[in-house]
Amino acid sequence: MSASGSQRLSRRVGNVAFLSFCWAATALALTALAAILWSLISQGVGGLELAVFTESTPAPGSQGGLLNAILGSIMMCGLAMAAATFVGVLAGTWLSEYARDSAYGKVVRFINDVLLSAPSILVGLFIYGILVAPMKGFSGYAGAAALALIAAPVITRTTEDVLRLQPVSLREASVALGAPVWKTIWAVIWRSAQAGMLTGALLAFARISGETAPLLFTALNNQFLSLDLGGPTANLPVVIFQFALSAYDDWRRLAWTGALLIAAAVLGVTVLARILAREPARS
Amino acid sequence: MNIHASDPPETSVLSLPPEQVKIDIQGLDFFYGAKQALFGVQVGFARNAVTALIGPSGCGKSTLLRTLNRMYSLYPGQKAQGRVLLEGDDILSPRTNLSALRARIGMVFQKPTPFPMSIFDNVAYGVRLYETLSKPDMAARVEESLRRAALWDEVKDKLKDSGLGLSGGQQQRLCVARAIAVKPEIILLDEPASALDPISTARLEETISDLKGDYTVVIVTHNMGQAARLSDHTGFMYLGTLVEFGETDRVFTNPVTSRARDYITGRFG
Repeated sequence: MSASGSQRLSRRVGNVAFLSFCWAATALALTALAAILWSLISQGVGGLELAVFTESTPAPGSQGGLLNAILGSIMMCGLAMAAATFVGVLAGTWLSEYARDSAYGKVVRFINDVLLSAPSILVGLFIYGILVAPMKGFSGYAGAAALALIAAPVITRTTEDVLRLQPVSLREASVALGAPVWKTIWAVIWRSAQAGMLTGALLAFARISGETAPLLFTALNNQFLSLDLGGPTANLPVVIFQFALSAYDDWRRLAWTGALLIAAAVLGVTVLARILAREPARS
Repeated sequence: MNIHASDPPETSVLSLPPEQVKIDIQGLDFFYGAKQALFGVQVGFARNAVTALIGPSGCGKSTLLRTLNRMYSLYPGQKAQGRVLLEGDDILSPRTNLSALRARIGMVFQKPTPFPMSIFDNVAYGVRLYETLSKPDMAARVEESLRRAALWDEVKDKLKDSGLGLSGGQQQRLCVARAIAVKPEIILLDEPASALDPISTARLEETISDLKGDYTVVIVTHNMGQAARLSDHTGFMYLGTLVEFGETDRVFTNPVTSRARDYITGRFG
């Protein structure tokens, strides 16, 4: 009896110790997150006024906002996401449905994984080398290309993973009705996996929306409002980088506000991704 | 193999008269990579009748079924040798148009596989692949198929709802409706009731009996009562070989081979 009693005690002690450790680790992570959010909100909310959305970045000491940077970021992220989703969904589908066990598929999957974890500054330098330097100028297109290069591997990977989760029986059921494989993928498999694929795309968007390093080498920045992606293009991350390091209080306040905007956008997109992922697929 | 060397035969396969035969299988071998799963299966399945395939797990019943619509061709490494004549055409020929073949042969799987779309679209999906019907014609086709699958009364008011919202038994009948909507000649059923409760199973069995006049049905089942109730002919398979094939009544009441006798009387399996 005593032997089993002591065994039970040691199990209970082990359980309590392990649980406390888990609690402490969770608390630590949440504290860090709360601290970041708190400093963002406390320092950023003060600068949140209408002018932020209606005026472009000011010269030091004058009135201004972030309109040019917000628009530039939206245009570049939008273009990047359009290109990356197109390439990523098709590449992920190919890897999952056509090249699952082929040697070529394995090589492509491996290279995609390498690209997935490539430092973003390298991506920026690469685009600088192949687009910015030959065309002799920074441009929003180059910025979008760099962002797309970061987003595409994420989308490729998540698309492949989500498609692989779709049951074989679903594919066979469609094929058994006489549907060709491409039709099966198009009408059944993608539809069944759409929530997960969308989540992957939104996560890729969250990833690129705050990227700074690749944009420094490609889109650079633009003090003025410009809808032309053919030239240097303002964007939130680079403006934050530049303004936060400046000596001017009003610039630093705008940097905080910009950071708050990015965080809010990423948070919004992440929450949206969660909701969509939970929603059962409906036609 | 020679336990009963003297009296009962090793195999006993009834040859149907040629005019009754819809699917004529001749010397069929099947391989999963290097592993052989079917050995020289030689049998004919009758037109507009139900043929049941029984036997212990891993005996090759499902493999035989999946050969009939070339489902195995999705997977490199699986191959069939021999001849499977559907109305005289060898479907194993590399020239066979697989999509067209599968449109002639419906299949219902072990687990219900509704597509992530509305009940209506689930049934219409296969039809749209090969036919362009007007809206009222399509609605009529969908209704007719759901009626034949004994599902119409339960879903007629919610055709726009997702097929995923139905119960397991309803989903399986939806899959039957989907299969017959394309007007196939043959319907393959791979343990269609194994994931269903007894009441759903009974309803599905009624559905299958109703189909038999118009379709050639081949059903794989682990449930011997089901095979006895539903089928006209029964094939007993063991270790990749078709051991005994004949009229269902005869196979169940008076199996000739010792293997079939042992299995049917419950001595193994």
